[in-house]
Amino acid sequence: MSSLAEYFETDWQAMTVNDWIGTIVTVVVFALMVVAYFQVFRPKNRDRLEAKKHIPFEEDSENSGERDGGK
Amino acid sequence: MQASLEQKYNFEVVRWFTIMAVVYLVVGAAVGVYIASELAWPFLNFDSPYLSFGRLRPVHTNAVIFAFGGCTLMATAFYSVQRTCGVRLWSDRMARFTFWGWNLVIVLAVLTLPLGLTQSKEYAELEWPIDILIAVVWLSFTINFIMTIATRKTSHIYVSNWFFLGMMVMIVYLHVVNSLAIPVGLFKSYSIFSGVQDAMIQWWWGHNAVGFYLTAGFLGIMYYFVPKQAERPIYSYRLSVIHFWALMFGYVWLGAHHLQYTALPDWTGSLGAAVSIAMIIPSWGGAVNGMMTLSGAWDRLRTDYVLRFLIIALAFYAMSTFEGPVMSLKTVNALSHYTDWTIGHVHSGALGWVAGISIGAIYHLMTRLYYTEMYSIRLINFHFWTATIGTVIYIVAMWASGIMQGLMWRAYDEYGTLAYTFVESVDAMHPYYAMRAVGGAIFLFGTLVMLFNVLMTVRKSLVEGSLSKARALPAAV
Repeated sequence: MSSLAEYFETDWQAMTVNDWIGTIVTVVVFALMVVAYFQVFRPKNRDRLEAKKHIPFEEDSENSGERDGGK
Repeated sequence: MQASLEQKYNFEVVRWFTIMAVVYLVVGAAVGVYIASELAWPFLNFDSPYLSFGRLRPVHTNAVIFAFGGCTLMATAFYSVQRTCGVRLWSDRMARFTFWGWNLVIVLAVLTLPLGLTQSKEYAELEWPIDILIAVVWLSFTINFIMTIATRKTSHIYVSNWFFLGMMVMIVYLHVVNSLAIPVGLFKSYSIFSGVQDAMIQWWWGHNAVGFYLTAGFLGIMYYFVPKQAERPIYSYRLSVIHFWALMFGYVWLGAHHLQYTALPDWTGSLGAAVSIAMIIPSWGGAVNGMMTLSGAWDRLRTDYVLRFLIIALAFYAMSTFEGPVMSLKTVNALSHYTDWTIGHVHSGALGWVAGISIGAIYHLMTRLYYTEMYSIRLINFHFWTATIGTVIYIVAMWASGIMQGLMWRAYDEYGTLAYTFVESVDAMHPYYAMRAVGGAIFLFGTLVMLFNVLMTVRKSLVEGSLSKARALPAAV
């Protein structure tokens, strides 16, 4: 490749419907990933999300005596 | 108390899957050791086509991936979805169908593969009637899981269920598309794809079987069982959310890295390698998340052997998810591809990560499903060391063998001709093949110890009457 422009050159006329669907889906999913990162690491959402980590233990507090295997 | 959960939830089908997982682990590992020994000492073929490496190898892969791995996934998914959603499985009948249907698939695999009835697609060898059965059974598993979540009592769906669900949805369409074939008889069909498209579809399935079945599914196990065994919540729930979405987004791109230097367009391999490298970040994020769950309680690793299995599995997960992307790079792939390095990589993931996290989860489950302590904690410790030492011997042998193979195949003399014949490279591998068989045998011995320990625990529960007492208790609300 002699230049970046040549490297990134795209024959838009040759794009098929499949190519367009793939391209659009990829860009949309990438944008959704950015949104996911933003939402997850937004300080405002921290406590709300971290509170969910206790779900596996909620039942234990109601039902004591679970076996503690392997210790 | 815990025992009263026996009536609230369907633990019966979880018990069946758990016991069968251990049985299939022994069977799958035994076949693996046998075929590894065949490569070191070929007389073990006994000139029988039914015992040849080519026919027994898919028996080994199907037994460990779909029989052992599948039963483990179904046991743990059915258990944890009930515990995290606070409701019984949506359909007991469908759960029983899933159990018997899945075991029928395994029996049919064991019958057809040694007879040479195969589609010759890696990790998807079974012929079309069995493929249809797999799709039906897997859908019953998926629908039951989804409907259990739909009827949950909790407001939030815990992250382990996301991973299980991601695996289920992806495997449905990966399996269906990869298995599309035109039957020409009851046991013969031809793929609807041909040439390079067939290769691409094959590895789109192949790598995603690793990514979604052997990774996402077992991460579902990790996100429930590591916190439960460590008795502390996952280190960062936010990291687990990112781990999930990055995994779901990233893994589907990787398949082409299995086809570097082939007829596939060059850019597809580069894309697969680039996304593979990017996948190190979420994979390591997940591994660190699991390990850091022990933050402040590392001393428990001294005494809790089940936790050791779970944490060492995460170490192997981190190692494999670094090694894989490195191997996908074209420069490294030029050396590693078609060599035993790949086999070493696969087994560091399969024995270290998948088997390790499964074994830890199964030991955890045994005490809760049978309402008693394990028959022998010392045997769990013994199993831990045999599994770890066996795995390390296996992968070190394959690394050495694979790199030596690659170097011998590409060596030229001063006249530009190959320095070694192919058979010389095969001859040079013999000590490493013997070493691999020894490593595998040590791992197999550990699985036999586990089976003994598990069966004795069931017996102990029966003698103590703890399971029958639990069944007689009033239901928890």
